[in-house]
Amino acid sequence: MNPANYLYLSALLFTIGAAGVLIRRNAIIVFMCVELMLNACNLAFVTFSRLHGNLDGQIIAFFTMVVAAAEVVVGLAIIVTFFRSRHSASVDDADLMKL
Amino acid sequence: MSFPLLTVTAVVPAAGAVVTAAVPAARRTAAKWTALAFALATLVLAAVVTARFSPGGARYQLTESHAWITAFGVRYELGVDGIAVVLVLLTAVLVPFVMLAGWHDADPLETSDRRWRPTQGFFALILLVEAMVVIAFESTDVFLFYVFFEAMLIPMYFLIGGFGDQAGAHGEDEQARQRSYAAVKFLLYNLVGGLVMLAAVIGLYAVTAHQLGAGTFSLPQILHDRANGTLTLSTTAERWIFLGFFFAFAVKAPLWPLHTWLPNAMGESTAPVAVLITAVVDKVGTFAMLRYCLQLFPAASKWATPVILVLAVIGIIYGALLAVGQRDIKRLIAYASISHFGFIILGIFAMTSQGQSGATLYMVNHGVSTAALLLVAGFLISRRGSRRIADFGGVQKVAPLLAGTFLVGGLATLSLPGLGPFVSEFLVLVGTFTRYPALGVIATLGIVLAALYVLVLYQRTMTGPVKAGIEGMKDLKVRELVVVAPLIALLLFLGVYPKPVTDVINPAVKDTLSDVHRTDPPPKVTVPAVAAAKENAK
Amino acid sequence: MSATAAAVHSLWTTRALADTAATPAIPTPHIEYAQLSPVLIVFGAAVLGVLIEAFAPRAARYAGQLAVSVVGLAAAFAALVALAADGYAQGRSHVAAMGAVAVDGPALFLQGTIVLIALVATFTFAERRLDPVAHGNRVDSFAAQGSAVPGGEQEQKAVRAGFTTTEVFPLLLFAVAGMMIFPAADDLLTLFVSLEVFSLPLYLLCALARRRRLMSQEASVKYFLLGAFSSAILLFGIALLYGYAGTVSYGGIADVVDGTAKLTPALANTTGNDALLLIGGAMVVMGLLFKVAAVPFHMWTPDVYQGAPTPVTGFMAAAVKVAAFGALLRLLYVVLPGMRWDWRPVMWGVAIVTMVVGAIIAVTQTDVKRLLAYSSIAHAGFLLTGVIAVSPSGVSSVLFYLVAYSFVTLGGFAVVTLVRDAGGEATHLSKWAGLGRRSPLLAAVFAVFLLSFAGIPLTAGFSGKFAVFKAAAQGGAVPLVVVGVISSAIAAFFYIRVIVMMFFQEPQPQGPTVAIPSPLTSTAIALGVAVTLVLGVAPQYFLDLAGKAGVFVR
Repeated sequence: MNPANYLYLSALLFTIGAAGVLIRRNAIIVFMCVELMLNACNLAFVTFSRLHGNLDGQIIAFFTMVVAAAEVVVGLAIIVTFFRSRHSASVDDADLMKL
Repeated sequence: MSFPLLTVTAVVPAAGAVVTAAVPAARRTAAKWTALAFALATLVLAAVVTARFSPGGARYQLTESHAWITAFGVRYELGVDGIAVVLVLLTAVLVPFVMLAGWHDADPLETSDRRWRPTQGFFALILLVEAMVVIAFESTDVFLFYVFFEAMLIPMYFLIGGFGDQAGAHGEDEQARQRSYAAVKFLLYNLVGGLVMLAAVIGLYAVTAHQLGAGTFSLPQILHDRANGTLTLSTTAERWIFLGFFFAFAVKAPLWPLHTWLPNAMGESTAPVAVLITAVVDKVGTFAMLRYCLQLFPAASKWATPVILVLAVIGIIYGALLAVGQRDIKRLIAYASISHFGFIILGIFAMTSQGQSGATLYMVNHGVSTAALLLVAGFLISRRGSRRIADFGGVQKVAPLLAGTFLVGGLATLSLPGLGPFVSEFLVLVGTFTRYPALGVIATLGIVLAALYVLVLYQRTMTGPVKAGIEGMKDLKVRELVVVAPLIALLLFLGVYPKPVTDVINPAVKDTLSDVHRTDPPPKVTVPAVAAAKENAK
Repeated sequence: MSATAAAVHSLWTTRALADTAATPAIPTPHIEYAQLSPVLIVFGAAVLGVLIEAFAPRAARYAGQLAVSVVGLAAAFAALVALAADGYAQGRSHVAAMGAVAVDGPALFLQGTIVLIALVATFTFAERRLDPVAHGNRVDSFAAQGSAVPGGEQEQKAVRAGFTTTEVFPLLLFAVAGMMIFPAADDLLTLFVSLEVFSLPLYLLCALARRRRLMSQEASVKYFLLGAFSSAILLFGIALLYGYAGTVSYGGIADVVDGTAKLTPALANTTGNDALLLIGGAMVVMGLLFKVAAVPFHMWTPDVYQGAPTPVTGFMAAAVKVAAFGALLRLLYVVLPGMRWDWRPVMWGVAIVTMVVGAIIAVTQTDVKRLLAYSSIAHAGFLLTGVIAVSPSGVSSVLFYLVAYSFVTLGGFAVVTLVRDAGGEATHLSKWAGLGRRSPLLAAVFAVFLLSFAGIPLTAGFSGKFAVFKAAAQGGAVPLVVVGVISSAIAAFFYIRVIVMMFFQEPQPQGPTVAIPSPLTSTAIALGVAVTLVLGVAPQYFLDLAGKAGVFVR
């Protein structure tokens, strides 16, 4: 199969993720969309790694997974605190500082 | 290394500002005397500078030169020519009078808060302004000049906004609002002017860096390199950079139509601060036109001359007309000043030796005459607690000395022969007439209008029946006489015998004119007035 | 398959030996520990901080953390100075850790700046005299217990017990270590990892305010979601650049962009596709512009600056900008100089929009912290004019500007922490009216900072602005300078407005009080004033330093 197809899939996933971040209201879902974007990046890295015949891309994918895991730890902590103090995880409710 | 006289002349008031500000809150009188002592010391130093200056000698004298910010090609370069020396002396002469006149202006109403020290602040700020103005006059490096040209706005801003006149027509709150509006307007106008100049300064650097290898701001070096052809400005570049510089100076000077901050600033500030604005700080603008616009950008100056002259003449007439219509004494004087600044700029850009000598002499005379008039007006206003002309009448019956000095100041403002401004106004008009007769004629109209607004002001406030609120008015106190008498004496002296001043000015003017490659036009018709004026100039 | 493999039973098989032999031996990584010591010291201090948090009794933690942070940062600075003295800033510039981290002039200069900023920020973090004593315990600006619900029972218990969040010190140190690597990163992977290393602690720090906790948590959520979004964009950009060049090392990509790399068949295939390069480069730059808060990636700045605890805001505003501009400079000057004709017009646009929007929106602000946030956006625009110059003087002017800007910013936010009323810091501008009457010294100091932000001569802000505008003008960007000058004038308007409020308006009857700080905050403020005046009056030494540090290694 042509590796370019994986790139198209990766671009599609990235776009879905980005659109989700911009459209969805629930902080958890927004965050999941960000994770989707990171995974799309991983797919692209692995595909390019295959294309160029070197291992850099695959190694980067591991780093990305670790970073994503760290991001989950911090992000969920923040979102859960936010939810506990307002009983809502909607980003629309975060309007204390609107002008 | 010789003694850095010019640096010391600027450092003494700056040090005075620091010392005055450090005087404890309760020792207000001590702070005043400290400030006055430093101002007098500066006056002595300025006198020494003048004495050491030899009019026929090198163009820039008492020079100092040190590396400052080599990365920007900036040097700490000082040096005075005839024009600068006269203006430094003017500044140093006026500041002690400003302090004496404002002796009680900054006394706090209540002494409840021991940390609040307005008196110390007032006198320290005046000294700071003096230091910055002096160094701006003395600098021969464009960047150094620019730094202090801009920096002096900040202490001025606090002087205008922080120590306003309590004698407005409105209530306390409205008064404070007006005052802070005036201060902000002053600052923003001048800041915008200064920032436009900053772009031009950077442009000048880019050009010199491109052509000389290393950027430089040194005026003597740029003039030298332009003269021998190593530095050439393209016509477009020269015009843009000239406009950047001129805009800043025209705001500061102020030239119509960039003048609108002046009536607000002078109206709302106390009389001594108003003197500081119009007689000291604004002079930096006209001085810089002579020194930087004409010398750095001769071709562009010639290119812009027609427009500038027309604006100057409009300013003369416009300022005078609005002065006639004012109901507020200080705003009237402010508009009169706008008219006079029109004359100064007219004289500078007429590009004749009489015009420029006249303009420089005018800076001095205008400084002294406006100071006299404004300070007496300030005494008048503080006695009555109002600035409105309609609140006065018949003052000469209750306070003859006050009325008399006011009249002398007014007559100086309308250029009565025998008083200083007459000589300079005459020189400017003659200088303009030889090259631009039509503009000269229109400008003369300004003198007629000046007679109108001064005499009407005098008539309404001083003559006639004594109005309510005027009956108990006290005449001038000793302190006030000490302020006014020397200024009037100076006006008389300059009116009768201006030669010492013109002797210092003339060589510098000749140098400037040769930079612009202009010579006086040959007299086509022998007009007796021209010949007389030439005699007078010599 | 060899004969031996066929002999074993069918459930498992041995590796093909021939394949193993074909795999090239991976060399043992060679790490230059000495050259990386500044970062390693900070990381070590951070780990030590975590251990203190885990094992030391609660009462001893504050003093221990403060000591570890200060000693660690000071030691890191000493190590940086030693490296610079060894000539790594100039002649011996070097790429350490197998091509991952550059040790060169800009890196050392920026790392030094960041460490000093962090040291000052540590002082403001440790300030315990401002908030009123709660139940006999001195408290700082951070929540008693970050996880407790605001206003809940658990929080009250924590406050009564005198808890304080001493975790902020290790978090700060981790962020600092990440920021130190960020401008020194010499491959895109290191860039991404260090970005996350400094961002994650900052997200947490934002959520830990003692007062106005809801706002602080909200700021944190916003910062986190937008920050994660931007780093995902950055990562995808990295993926595309990797796809284009087949490598993530800065030098390698630059070679491919310049066309000097040895072409393999795969490379010949991908380099034919400029879209990968252009889109990839654009996405990476977008990720960095988000961190420097350039318009149109600035939306998070005002909210986060306002909601975060003020010491954290000061630290973020100063240090993130330094680190991110360092990384941006290196990326544009080392990786993509070959395509400067593509990115310069775009950056022109970004710089113009950033300066103008930052200045104009600031005019309408009524909150001191938001005002400073918009001012930091406008300053990002001024810095971008220096970046666009693409010349050594562009680099050195940006470095100088960053120093001038960051210490003034730290000082400015430190002043904000002092003006307080019953609800904590009184950040609404109307409450600052008449401050010059109540507390002349503090108001004068803040006025000095504002004048420096406005770029009035004889302050650090003027020297910095002059340096970047000069570099831009020499690079031919005169229109940019004109826009910069105009937006400076607009910006001056709102700085002046604050000065007017402080000095020319009558104090309000229920106005805020000015807390008397401990020497910690006083040091931060005094340092801000000192930097403002020294860089304003005698900037030559620092300009020289920045000038010497102006060359990147590749």
